[in-house]
Amino acid sequence: MPETNEKKETMNDFTDLEFGIDTFGDLPRDDQGAVVSYAAAIRATVAEAVLADEVGIDAVAIGEHHRPEFAISSPETVLAGIATSTERIRLGSGVTVLSSDDPVRVFQRFATVDALSNGRAEIILGRGSFTESFPLFGYDLSDYELLFDEKIDLFHALLDEKPVTWEGTTRAALHEADVFPKTDSGRLRTWVGVGGSPQSVLRTAHYGFELMLAIIGGAPARFAPYVDLYRRATEQLGTTAHPVGMHSPGFIAETDEEAMEAFYPGYKVVRDTIGALRGWPPLTRSDFEADVEGGSLYIGSPETVARKMAAAIRTLDVGRFDLIYSAGGAMSASARLRAVELYGTKVIPMVRELLAEAPAQSMTGAGSSHE
Amino acid sequence: MAIRIGDIEFGLNSFGDIATNDGRVMSDAESLRLLVDEAQLAESVGLDVFSIGEHYREGMVDSATPVILAAAAQATSTIRLGTSVTVLSTQDPVRLYQQFATVDGLSGGRAHLVLGRASAIESFGLFGYDIAEYEQIFEEKLGLFLRLMNEDRVTWTGQYRAPLENVRLHPRMPQGGIPTWIGIGGSPDSVVRAARNGLPLMMAIIGGRPDRFAGHAELYLRALSRFGQPELPIGQHSLGFIADTDEEAKNIHWKHWQPVVTAMSEERGFYAPTIDRYNTEVDTGALYVGSPETVSRKIAGIVRANHLSRFDLKYDVLHLPREAREHSIRLFGERVAPRVRELLDEDPGEWHLTGRTPAEIVKGGKAAHA
Repeated sequence: MPETNEKKETMNDFTDLEFGIDTFGDLPRDDQGAVVSYAAAIRATVAEAVLADEVGIDAVAIGEHHRPEFAISSPETVLAGIATSTERIRLGSGVTVLSSDDPVRVFQRFATVDALSNGRAEIILGRGSFTESFPLFGYDLSDYELLFDEKIDLFHALLDEKPVTWEGTTRAALHEADVFPKTDSGRLRTWVGVGGSPQSVLRTAHYGFELMLAIIGGAPARFAPYVDLYRRATEQLGTTAHPVGMHSPGFIAETDEEAMEAFYPGYKVVRDTIGALRGWPPLTRSDFEADVEGGSLYIGSPETVARKMAAAIRTLDVGRFDLIYSAGGAMSASARLRAVELYGTKVIPMVRELLAEAPAQSMTGAGSSHE
Repeated sequence: MAIRIGDIEFGLNSFGDIATNDGRVMSDAESLRLLVDEAQLAESVGLDVFSIGEHYREGMVDSATPVILAAAAQATSTIRLGTSVTVLSTQDPVRLYQQFATVDGLSGGRAHLVLGRASAIESFGLFGYDIAEYEQIFEEKLGLFLRLMNEDRVTWTGQYRAPLENVRLHPRMPQGGIPTWIGIGGSPDSVVRAARNGLPLMMAIIGGRPDRFAGHAELYLRALSRFGQPELPIGQHSLGFIADTDEEAKNIHWKHWQPVVTAMSEERGFYAPTIDRYNTEVDTGALYVGSPETVSRKIAGIVRANHLSRFDLKYDVLHLPREAREHSIRLFGERVAPRVRELLDEDPGEWHLTGRTPAEIVKGGKAAHA
């Protein structure tokens, strides 16, 4: 556990670096090219996590979404299945949309996953980058801040695993409520996923939670101020500055060319569908290539991706890197499995090597140094 | 696989009661992992269903039922995975659909549900519901849940959750949803509700003479007929424990059952158990405790009397040693289930009551409507 890492911030030698893979449960295509059913997509996600465990990836995180593109709306249920079929990989959500859920239920589900996995659960709380869950579960988007404020406060109280008395406006009050099951370790590892709100960084520091930065576009360097803010805030508040994590999309194949071609068509569909809701222009091939080159898409051969990751890890001085490997939408299920395998067997060892070569060297402008 | 009513099925039910191991009380987490082992064991000894309840109190670890079932799904390949029961009143039907669609997907179509109003009331306070409204809440949520299972897109308004506007949930359950039973504790209204909705009936009989529920079973069959529903399965859930001899079974079971029921009697205001009353309960009541032969005869008798096509044994009791649980599960699957089938073959009695041709049902009790 990373509680003791606070003094390392200026001299990170990256030896404790952790690597994760993240998925939203996108529906892949089978060998015949047909998009698989939701049930098959869930089983594909389990198969990918099992492989990740075998190839030594440290963590898998599964997102919660309430949209047709994604098979997973109940991540803990999938994580419990993975728990049975894996030995050591840590099991997380990425993210749990706490704002539209009940912190008591969230605690119960994660404590159960933690038990079933022998203590491997970690929760990544977030407000979510989508808004579907608010009307679906009867919450008003205008209460966005209040919902997260109150619920993270209650969740923090539940983490002590003692009877909780709590009162707020977003759920029923609790009076000495003792919530079960209890964990063996006595505390669930908890992160907050932050997409770019300084307020969320401060909140994370306030509760002493770990910070996971969702960096899904642009150069990673622009998130450096958030890392800095987190560290300064924890110092001022007297809470622990855990190593920061980052999560970004990417894809790995044997060659750069193959990875780009496998990823782009499905990614464009997903990106344009979501973009239409958010007022983004359709994705062009040149935008895509620019993001692969200098932005936050980690796509290519193992070596290309490893170099880019090493640069970003150095720039932001993070202790954990999670690759969202399923963002290519309806792509081949076997290519997806292969990407997980390459990430574990090739990319991670290469990143470790690159970082060990020149640990003190400071690099900026992630992604600009390769090729 | 289509079966006909009358192919008696056997289920194992847990309430997530904490076990002991070599005299030590197991942790919540250890007890949860034990459940997955027991689901695997249930499958290996040939049982048809493994079900987990939903409780919110110390000593019971089943607060996140679908999460446990998902872990069991990965550890098994043929046994069906269900609930005993899901407290629908304090669940959100939308989340419930999503969670059980996920379990069903993970398990390759082995998930099913027994929905009930619950006999324990902790969940009402914990999740902010008024127990006084529990009838209306259940009725409304059942209606919504069935619509979510049966319709592609749902627009809905009600009193106990936010309205839904043209919503299609993900992941999808198979067309028509997953097999869903109604669990009842003795209320005739609940029996009629199950029949009206065309859902199989699970009777929780946890005390007293179990054959007094024959009236409920008959009411159910009559109501099905009146509502124009096909004939559907009736199941019974009861508590029990099986050991090599009657004596051993009773000794071990009483030792663990007595403190639990004493505590419950103080909480709910009924008489504390005595050994005499316990013996009566075992001999003629709803406790299925004894040797394989004793329990088999008792189950065969109640299958005939209550027109059952499924019998679920709730096998765990607070602090029951894990070896005793394991042995009881083994005996239930390897000895009791085949013996009950044999006894029913020899003497089916009044088992088939109505004389109507039973509906073809898929395994799990869902009408096939072929």
